[in-house]
Amino acid sequence: MTLIECRALTRTYRRGSEKITPLQNLNLDIDSGGFVALMGPSGSGKTTLLNLLAGIDRPTEGTLTVAGEAIQNLSRGALSHWRSKHVGYIFQLYNLIPVLTAYENVELPLLLQPLTRRQRHERVSTALESVGISDRYAHYPRQLSGGQEQRVAIARAIVTEPTILLADEPTGDLDRESATAVMELLSRLNSEQGRTIVMVTHDPRTTEWADTVLHLEKGQLVEQTVRTA
Amino acid sequence: MNQFLRVLPTVVRQIVRSPIRSGLTIVGIGVAMFLFVAVEAMREGVHTATQVQAGDTTLVVYRENRFCPFSSRLPQFYGDRMERIDGVTSVVPMQIHVSNCRASLDVVTFRGVPQDDFDVAVTGDADIVGGDLGDWQSRGDAAIVGEALAARRGIRVGDRFAAAGITVFVAGILQTDHPQDRNIAWVHLPFLQEAARRGGTGGLVTQFNVSVDDPTRLESIAGEIDELFAHDEHPTATRPERAFVGRAARDIVELVDFAGLLAWGALAAVFALIANAIILAMRDRVRDHAVLQTLGYTGPLIGWMVVLEGAIMGLAGGLLGALAALATVRLGHFSLTMEGLNIEIASNWTAPAWGVSAALTLGLLAGVVPAIRLARRDIAACFRAV
Repeated sequence: MTLIECRALTRTYRRGSEKITPLQNLNLDIDSGGFVALMGPSGSGKTTLLNLLAGIDRPTEGTLTVAGEAIQNLSRGALSHWRSKHVGYIFQLYNLIPVLTAYENVELPLLLQPLTRRQRHERVSTALESVGISDRYAHYPRQLSGGQEQRVAIARAIVTEPTILLADEPTGDLDRESATAVMELLSRLNSEQGRTIVMVTHDPRTTEWADTVLHLEKGQLVEQTVRTA
Repeated sequence: MNQFLRVLPTVVRQIVRSPIRSGLTIVGIGVAMFLFVAVEAMREGVHTATQVQAGDTTLVVYRENRFCPFSSRLPQFYGDRMERIDGVTSVVPMQIHVSNCRASLDVVTFRGVPQDDFDVAVTGDADIVGGDLGDWQSRGDAAIVGEALAARRGIRVGDRFAAAGITVFVAGILQTDHPQDRNIAWVHLPFLQEAARRGGTGGLVTQFNVSVDDPTRLESIAGEIDELFAHDEHPTATRPERAFVGRAARDIVELVDFAGLLAWGALAAVFALIANAIILAMRDRVRDHAVLQTLGYTGPLIGWMVVLEGAIMGLAGGLLGALAALATVRLGHFSLTMEGLNIEIASNWTAPAWGVSAALTLGLLAGVVPAIRLARRDIAACFRAV
């Protein structure tokens, strides 16, 4: 079943007098439960596409439908609300709030939902457990290693049980061992919990865990590889 | 619970866990609020001491064109002539002796009154706490000491204390709501006349305190008194008590009014401090706010968190400064004394409440513009900026 549907998706912006089009007339379907890796050289439009899918940027032209909802027409407020329900975002540099503990960072998205403190506690604990970092719940980001920080970031992304998980080079700042652990974790979330994952990566090794690899160049889809189990 | 309330603990954590930034801001606000409340306490004291009230019934009769207790000398027998004026209910002759004629924060003022006139001389609700009026009446060198003076000097019943060359035995402490009476030592008139004798001044007093039966006749009776002695050797100048204090303390009143500008300056400083702290925090947290937006936090919600942060810091600093000022003013028992008259630096809860409210409001206002700018920011642009 198609979860994400991009039709003639174009994003253009201006830098001074220069007109830049990082994404041009892109058509793409991503199935529910898929694990998609986006690859391509710098400036190929990978992160722009990810930002559009996350609803933190808007297409200049075209339509973007996620779970049946055309998100390019949503207002700013409605788009925020949509993000809180449907999107879990994992950053390359983790982007945890430095003055909050691991627990409090994971709790942040839940503060937007009408949950009791006990309900939030249960969901945060489950998320931290599922990424194997529950013993570090009281640690601040500065007290964690890169791999541990990324695990907390993943827990924050999955705690609301979003429709799609978007990851922007999730292993880009990690050593090989930590990168493997993070990829195994994402793979497990995909296979065991059925989460749809779209991941931007520069590292061909991380594509091994994906079932679909998309190659972008100059804002256009140039190659699509589908792996069968 | 609304999400606007659910984020409150997060905002508090951001403040508490940035101790240097928050601490410096809160201390700065506290210092400014201390200044604000202290100045307001001075203004309140001046207002209480100098603004004539509708119910006032006390006149002060002083030697015309004299402005210091050392130079105002009136014959004690003037009192008998004043008592005969229609509307006058009592006349208390007073000898006043001060340890310092200039304006100062710690002046000891002695007021000598006839033994039987003590109750009449003391204004308003007053009680002798500790000691006994009988002890005062039975000893020629005894003094009843106002509670503020006693607290300031650490004087207790049974002590002997000396000031301005006069040594007295403390027979009691006077508790009263009248600022003038809280800051003086009441002694026997003959004792003070004798102690202050500078060659042939026996039978002279510094002033008379005249009580009248009708507050609306204060001015007319004052005119009658001055007319009565206009052609005597010692002409008088009679004013309502608070107006008398206001005239004597004119320089202080002007200074305190000028100090009111400092209070406004303190408020401006509070606003600048909070605004500066918030703007710096916003600059540091560009990425954090972009992350929150990515998680689904709306612009208004993030703006609210910024405004809340300013308000909490304003409230904390305001409380710190206002309570410190209140404690200092209350425990310090400060009194500005000039020419033997006292202006008590006193504060009830009004000035601190105003101060805290002002700090809270300024904290809210200081966060509004950064909050609006933040709420309108584009997420992708924020990530590109860091």
